[in-house]
Amino acid sequence: MSSTLNSPATDTMSPLGHALRGGRDALGLPAITICFSLIGIGGLARDIGYPMLAGMLSSALMWAGPAQVLLFGSIATGTALPVAAIAVLFSSLRFMPMTISLVPLLNDPKRPLWQLLLAAHLISITNWVEGMRRLPDEPKPFRYPYFCGFGLVVLLSGTLATGAGYFLVGALPAVLAAALLFTTPMFFSVNLAGSVKRWPDVLPIVAAIALTPVATLLVGTDYDLVAAGLVGGTLAYGIERMMRHRRRA
Amino acid sequence: MSGILASLEHATGGLWPYFVVVIFGFLPTEVWRVLGVLAGKGLKEESEVFHWVRMVSTALVTAVVAKLLLSPQGALAMVPLWGRLGAVGVGLAVMFATRRSIAMGLISGEVALIAAGYWTAT
Repeated sequence: MSSTLNSPATDTMSPLGHALRGGRDALGLPAITICFSLIGIGGLARDIGYPMLAGMLSSALMWAGPAQVLLFGSIATGTALPVAAIAVLFSSLRFMPMTISLVPLLNDPKRPLWQLLLAAHLISITNWVEGMRRLPDEPKPFRYPYFCGFGLVVLLSGTLATGAGYFLVGALPAVLAAALLFTTPMFFSVNLAGSVKRWPDVLPIVAAIALTPVATLLVGTDYDLVAAGLVGGTLAYGIERMMRHRRRA
Repeated sequence: MSGILASLEHATGGLWPYFVVVIFGFLPTEVWRVLGVLAGKGLKEESEVFHWVRMVSTALVTAVVAKLLLSPQGALAMVPLWGRLGAVGVGLAVMFATRRSIAMGLISGEVALIAAGYWTAT
């Protein structure tokens, strides 16, 4: 099976070989993007008097930029920790549907649960978008090691960047700090728009863009993302299913 | 609750920040990934439920990004809305003009944002 995105595989490659192939494919834009996105976390950790390693640990374990900003931001403003944890819980809800939609691409009947949990830990916006785009091109037995190698290199890059940001960010002009925060939305926008292959792919994107501001107004900033995601995604699914059935009839 | 936390903070000493990251950061994030594995493990790639979850997660991630752009936190808020949306438009246009080069799209979008930032700051 050939692919323009992923490095070529051979049938004689070991799982480690596929993992290394994934890691090599991650060294480039995906790794650079995550470095830019997480460099600011190091600065946040320093601002609240946390050691550098605690900032890096948050990247390696939480692996969720917005939630890390929430946690350290709450500590900076003196919010009670259980309240901060609930905010983190809400902001990370997206990982459940993201994981549900990625796991069937990785799974095979003999894969033990703990291995799936390890792969799921690597899921972030970057790794999820790349996984959904790259995995269908891989033969099924190669997918799990490929994704783990890819995701681990992105996670390690982000963790190292957090450590570097601990020392760098205070010295940065405001415009460049803004550009760093702009990396995730820009990378996601071009990546998602570039991966559209069939017209139904654009449905959930358009629906979510239209619904997010409406949802913020209607249900407030705690539930707006979940509402926009559920309603927009279900709407997109309904339209796609309708068109599929009409074509068949 | 706050009394328990205060004495824990005292007891853990220099290790308190790591404790906070694990208990109040890692656990409430990871629980969703674990639930996702348990729910997604039995799903077939071709099933209707998979189609639906895929649409919902794409919409949800798009909503996260839309919110980062529409109501940003921190330094990105200094660039006005037209600058943020305009920079995304520039990046997308360049990406499609360069036979879908993600790198070219990302770089030109960033350059446009920095330009908009300097334009409004001066």
